[in-house]
Amino acid sequence: MNKLNNSKGLNIPENYLVTPTYVFFLIHSMQVGVGILGFEKYLVEKAGFDAWISVLIAGGILHIILWMIYRLLQNGGGDIVEIHKNIFGKYLGGFLSLLFCAYFTLLAFTVVITFIEVIKVWVFPGLHVWVFAFVLLFLVYYLVSGGFRVITGVCLISVIIGLPILLLKYFPVEAGHTMNIFPVISHSVTDILGATKQSILSFLGLEFLLIYYPFIKNPQKSKKWAHYGVFFTTMVYLISVLVTFVYYSEEQLKQVVWGTISAWKIVEFPFIERFEFVGIAMWLYVVLPNICLGLWGATRIPKRVFNVKQKYVVILFCIAIYFPAVLIDGRPMIDAVNNLSGQLGMYVLMYIPVLLVLKTISDKVRKRT
Amino acid sequence: MWKWKRKDKQQPESVQQTKKQSGTLSEFIQAMKQSEDFVHYELSGNTRCTISYLKTMCDSKILNRSVLTTLNEESLHTLHDMKERIPVENVRVTSKINLIEEKVMFGYIMIQMHETDEEVVLIPSISLESRNVSIPEVEFSVVGPKEAFVETLNTNINLIRKRLPLPQLTIKEMNIGKVSKTRVCVIYINGIVNQSNVETVEQRLKGIEIDHLTDSSFITQIIADNSNSPFPQLLDTERPDRVVSNLVEGKVAILVEGSPHALTCPTTVVEFFGASDDYFLPWHLATAFRLIRLFAVIFSVLSTPLYVAVLTYHHEMIPAALMATIVSSRSDIPFPPILEVIVLELAIELLREAGARLPTKIGQTIGIVGGIVIGTAAVDAGLTSNVLLIIVALSALASFTTPVYQIGNTIRLIRFPFIVGAQLWGLVGVSMCMVFFIGHLIKLQSIGRPFFEPLYPLRVKDLKDAFIRLPFNKQTERPVLMRTEDTQRMNPSRVNAKRDIDE
Repeated sequence: MNKLNNSKGLNIPENYLVTPTYVFFLIHSMQVGVGILGFEKYLVEKAGFDAWISVLIAGGILHIILWMIYRLLQNGGGDIVEIHKNIFGKYLGGFLSLLFCAYFTLLAFTVVITFIEVIKVWVFPGLHVWVFAFVLLFLVYYLVSGGFRVITGVCLISVIIGLPILLLKYFPVEAGHTMNIFPVISHSVTDILGATKQSILSFLGLEFLLIYYPFIKNPQKSKKWAHYGVFFTTMVYLISVLVTFVYYSEEQLKQVVWGTISAWKIVEFPFIERFEFVGIAMWLYVVLPNICLGLWGATRIPKRVFNVKQKYVVILFCIAIYFPAVLIDGRPMIDAVNNLSGQLGMYVLMYIPVLLVLKTISDKVRKRT
Repeated sequence: MWKWKRKDKQQPESVQQTKKQSGTLSEFIQAMKQSEDFVHYELSGNTRCTISYLKTMCDSKILNRSVLTTLNEESLHTLHDMKERIPVENVRVTSKINLIEEKVMFGYIMIQMHETDEEVVLIPSISLESRNVSIPEVEFSVVGPKEAFVETLNTNINLIRKRLPLPQLTIKEMNIGKVSKTRVCVIYINGIVNQSNVETVEQRLKGIEIDHLTDSSFITQIIADNSNSPFPQLLDTERPDRVVSNLVEGKVAILVEGSPHALTCPTTVVEFFGASDDYFLPWHLATAFRLIRLFAVIFSVLSTPLYVAVLTYHHEMIPAALMATIVSSRSDIPFPPILEVIVLELAIELLREAGARLPTKIGQTIGIVGGIVIGTAAVDAGLTSNVLLIIVALSALASFTTPVYQIGNTIRLIRFPFIVGAQLWGLVGVSMCMVFFIGHLIKLQSIGRPFFEPLYPLRVKDLKDAFIRLPFNKQTERPVLMRTEDTQRMNPSRVNAKRDIDE
């Protein structure tokens, strides 16, 4: 066992590590992304106004998965790449790690195109995507090239800036009907579980822990912060679901793609109206950690597997994201990509328990020999 | 492989350098004689000797009253006799040519027994012209101490030492600049400061390759962690009291001969928005003023970009009642908002630049003429809207609230990228620009310590004296940033001892 812990390439110098508290921000900001702007519609399609129960169930499931991830990493001697190598050997393990890399890239890509879509729909219908995507990706490159600490900083700032946006939920509540939520549990268990699956998709992002775990100082202490993070995300989602349910009627919500943004429209101050413009501009802060951490995680895997310089991989991946992002257009295609990344995310989450079982077995076998 | 070659190359250079410096004494005198202010003659009184000095650097009082009288009245035959008899402090006998050269150039009097002798006696009689200590003009404060640094290093050190009569106050000196050999001092309090900070500063100062050092701002630019950043990464101040309070917090100060500004490091971006006044007022008032200043800075950077963004792309955001005002003020303007803003911003920059270069009295007139006359004329002529004029004038005013001049310059200029961003993608462009700067600030370091500190890495303890200033009894610990050796400022239990009613 001790041999595994001294694996090469994972002795990260202390000045690149982050304190355990930041795991809260890393997990929370990675989970909240563009999904929260319009996920209510998909839940309502499955379970109607009982979907808030699904959000709670999904949160519970994620706590369990988080626990499994920590079990995996605790004596795994580093990150997912190391674990894969130990269980499956160099080649198969490397291949599986590269699948993770593809998945992380896809997540970053999904966020990029969805955010561009939001801007096109809500702010600039005639947006020159090729310029905007270039500047956005350049910004991402600038941040990612600063390393993990900078990305953590971006996560922290995003949470701090994102919090005041939550206060805006007051306006829809004031205008809504609280009775909408009742009667409670009018749908079957299968419906609710179907919505649970949908809502887990919006919770994706904690699997990045598998790759940035070695960057946490005293990782044992970070456990509680990670759980707080997931809990906080669950609460944020629960609040937004409830607020949306209070504000819209069930049939209307099925027609609204971006429930949260539409609700921002009614926010009114004496000096400012139509708050969705400010909201979307601020949403950049919420979205950036997703893209940055996604790209960082995706590029770190090739570095670990092939020992190449991450700097170049980041540039390569930025270019790889740039062209499809410019070419993709239209809601159906974006929906398809979103569904694909959701499906893959689901598989990744299901893969974690399998990996845990395999790892426990292989550890036992190794101990015996 | 190339190591031996490099060594070969280096050696002749170093030989040359030492050669250049250590010629013989007579060569040195010959070289000096080419300057008119070098006095070199034989004294033929009771003591026969050769005396030489730079008359522009020497204090004639010391020369006439102490040196010449002693030499004329007594008959002295050796240099050591002179050293004992001449009533001046710190007289020394030496034959080291390097030392002699250096000292004579600073205004020491050199005496030889014979013109050909290599051994001399050096008598310090430096006369330094310097300004008197005056009121701080850049960082003015209404209450509190009103002394500012001057151009003389010794006076500046005196201003610091008299506030900190501690044996632990350590001053390390070095000469920087191939030609100017400027004296640079590193000051810190032993036992409080983290030695690694001192080492970083000293190492970077020693690594400086420059011919002459005019001002401390040269050092700021050269030893900064990222010299391409618009943000100053060392705090410069002209207030000795500010330097002292920074030293007590565990920072390192750098003083440069000829510069009326001290540098302190490591620093954080928040520190640039704190004024000395904040500590002279009750804490709640100080906090309120600090927040106002912070708001002013944000307003100054963001107001015109937001004007461009909203008027170019997001008219819907303006409430109907306000829309009427803006439309009526803009109805005659032939330009798009971006052009209007850039013209007006540049006009303000012009006024500011002109005001800074002109003598104070004319500068004020220019400000008034420019601000009022040109502004009103521009609005009357229908070139700019009066709403924008108000915004630009306010944001210019707001940028003057920064207590440190260097960061004021940064704020002046970083609004232009924001304006460009606003013109490109409205509010989204503004927030992209903001993300870039926040990312940049997160990346920045001040001598290896995070520059964006109390925010990221988030250190709640250091937030006590960042955006708000808590009372002194809450600030019993030194900031975490400096990783000081002694973290306690005072005994917290004694400071916060609870007293019951009527006790």
